[in-house]
Amino acid sequence: MGRASPLRLNWLLVVPLIIFFVIFFVIPVGLIFATSFNPQTIGQVSVTTDLTLDNYVRFFTRSSYLQAAGRSVMLAAIVSAVTLFVAYPMAFVIAKTEHPGRNTFLMILVLAAMQLDMVIRLYGMMVILGDNGLVNQMLIALGLTGPDDPVQFMYNFLGVVLGLVQFSLPFMILTLIGVIAGIDPSLEEAARSLGASRSRAFRRVILPASMPGILSGSLLVFALSISSYIVPALMGGFRVGVLPIHIFQQVAEGARFQFGATIAVILFLISAGAVAIYLHIGARRSGGLA
Amino acid sequence: MSFVEFQGVSKSFGDTIAVEKLNIAIEKGEFFSLLGPSGCGKSTTLRMLAGFLPPSTGRISVHGRDITRLPPEARGIGIVFQNYAIFPHMNVFDNIAFGLVERGEQKTEIARKVDAALEQVGLSGYGGRFERELSGGQKQRVALARVLVIEPEILLLDEPLSALDKKMREEMKFWIKDIQNSIGITTIYVTHDQSEALTMSDRIAVMSNGRLLQVGSPREIYEQPSSRFIAEFIGESNLLDVRVTSVNGVSCEVDLGGSLTVPARCSKQVKLSPDERVSLLLRPEMLRLAPMDAQEAPRLKGRIADSVYQGALRRYRVIAGEHDFVVEVPNRPELAQLSSGDQVDVFWSTESGVVVP
Repeated sequence: MGRASPLRLNWLLVVPLIIFFVIFFVIPVGLIFATSFNPQTIGQVSVTTDLTLDNYVRFFTRSSYLQAAGRSVMLAAIVSAVTLFVAYPMAFVIAKTEHPGRNTFLMILVLAAMQLDMVIRLYGMMVILGDNGLVNQMLIALGLTGPDDPVQFMYNFLGVVLGLVQFSLPFMILTLIGVIAGIDPSLEEAARSLGASRSRAFRRVILPASMPGILSGSLLVFALSISSYIVPALMGGFRVGVLPIHIFQQVAEGARFQFGATIAVILFLISAGAVAIYLHIGARRSGGLA
Repeated sequence: MSFVEFQGVSKSFGDTIAVEKLNIAIEKGEFFSLLGPSGCGKSTTLRMLAGFLPPSTGRISVHGRDITRLPPEARGIGIVFQNYAIFPHMNVFDNIAFGLVERGEQKTEIARKVDAALEQVGLSGYGGRFERELSGGQKQRVALARVLVIEPEILLLDEPLSALDKKMREEMKFWIKDIQNSIGITTIYVTHDQSEALTMSDRIAVMSNGRLLQVGSPREIYEQPSSRFIAEFIGESNLLDVRVTSVNGVSCEVDLGGSLTVPARCSKQVKLSPDERVSLLLRPEMLRLAPMDAQEAPRLKGRIADSVYQGALRRYRVIAGEHDFVVEVPNRPELAQLSSGDQVDVFWSTESGVVVP
C-alpha cells in the first residue's frame, strides 16, 4: 500500500480556493478583458469574436478620460500618504502598549470603525462635514468663517480624500501594528547605546525597520482608494470624476459595456503597476534577495 | 573608589522585586560576570547599567560620576545583545559605522575605523553583507565590532553565547576573552552558564531572586561557595548533611553520622558554632576510590550502585550508609574498573571537604 505523498495532500487543500478563485475572479476578469476589445454596441453584454482597439483609442485620445486616470492615481496617492501619516503614530502606540487591557481597548477602537457598512459611515461623515455640519457650526461659532460662507468639505476632492482616509485607516493601522510589534526592541536599545538619541534611533532604525509595513499598508490603501466607487459617489457627489465613477456612468447610465470594460481594464493595469513598483522597491530594500 | 559602583540599587516592577539592594564594585579592566538562573535579576542589573531601565532606588556610578539618570546614549557603554540586534536594513559596514556616524565623524575616518574593526574580528571583506547572510558566530562578531569601534569605557555582554551551538560556544568563549585581554576593556558579562563564568571571569557575582549571594574569583566561588544554592548551581556537588562538632579557625570537625567524625575546611566569612547543622561539600572529582597518598585515609565504606563510562572519566554512584555520592575517576589503565555491587572505600583529602552553611 502506498502512502499519500504529503505534497499531493497539501495541493488538495488548495483546491477549494482555486475553484472559488477561477469562478469568481479569473472568469469575470477574463470576460471584462475580452469585452474591452469588442466594438462598442449599446446594450450588448455578451462577448463576441469581433476584435478591435477602438475603445482604447477612444480612452487615450479623450483628455477627459486621461484626466480622470490622473485624478484617480493622485487621489489614491494622497489618500495613502495622509492615511499613513495619521495611522503610524496610532499603530506605534498600540504596538508599544504592554498593558493588555489598554491594548484591547485601543484595538476595539480601531476595529469599531470597521463594524458599520461604509454607506452608513459616510452618512455619518456628512452630518459632521456638511455645510450645516458640526465642523462648520464650530468654525462659524469661533468666527473663523462667515455663517453664509461655510467651508466646503463635501462634494469635492477634499471630501473624497477625507472619506477614503476614514475608510482606509483600520487597514493601515492593522498592517502597521503587525510590523511595528515585530521589531525587536533590542534594535532600538542597540542604537541608543551606540549614541543615538531617541529621535535619531527612530529615524535610523525603527522607521526603516517598519518600512515593510509602510509599503504593504500603502499598497493596500492605494488599491482600496483607486478602486473605490461608493466614496467618490457619496462624498464627491459625482463631481469628482475618478475612473470608477466613469465606469459606473458608462455601464449603468449608458449601457456601454464595452467602453466600461476598457476603463476597468485600464484601472486594473494601473493597480497592477502600483503592485509591480511596490515589489521592486521591496526587493531593492532587502538587498535584492527578497 | 571602584570603576563601576552599584550602591543600594533596587528595581521593582509593580509588586515584583527584580533586584534588591544591590551593592557591587567592579574594578577597571576587570572581566566581571553576573551569574544566576533565569529571573535572578542579572539582566535587569545589566539593563540598569546600560540605561534602558531606571533603578527604583539607589545609585550607579562610573569613574565616580553618577550616571543613574543619564540616557543610554550619554553613557559611553557598549552592549552586545543575546540576539545580537544587528540592524537588518543595513549591511555589516553600516552597522559597524552606526555609532561613528552618530558621533559625527568624517567619512574617511569612519571607513578606516570600520575596516580596522572588521579585521579585528576576522571579518575583512564582509562589509557588504546583510544580517541574513551571516552565521550566528559572524553576527556575534559584527555585534562586538559595532560596539568596540566606538571605544566604550565599559563593555556589556548579555548572554552572548546562548544562541550558538556547543562547538561554536567553546570557540567564542576564548575568542571573547582574548579580545577583552588585548584591549583591557572593563567587561560585564551576564550568563546563566556556570562554565562560561568560570572560564572567562576575573570575578563572578552569583545572584538569585534579585539578591547578590556571593562575589569572588572563579576559584573562590567553586571551592568555597557561601551557600548550598551556589554549591549546587556551580559545578556538580555532593552535599552531605553533617553536624559541626568543633571549630578552630578555618578548620573544623564534622559528624557524618554513625559516630564518624572527619576534619573539614570552613570558610573565613562564615561563623560556625558547634552542634550546628551544615552541609559538607565534596566535589565528585575530589573523591577517590583508591588512596592517592598516605595522608588520605578512607573516610567511608560504601558500595557501587552505578557505574557509567564517559570517555575521559568514569562516573560512579556510591552509597555509603545514609550518604549517596557521585564520584568521578579519570580513566587510567592502572585504576581498577569497578562495577555495581563492588564494596569500596571512599577517600578524600581534608582540604577538599568544605563546610557550607
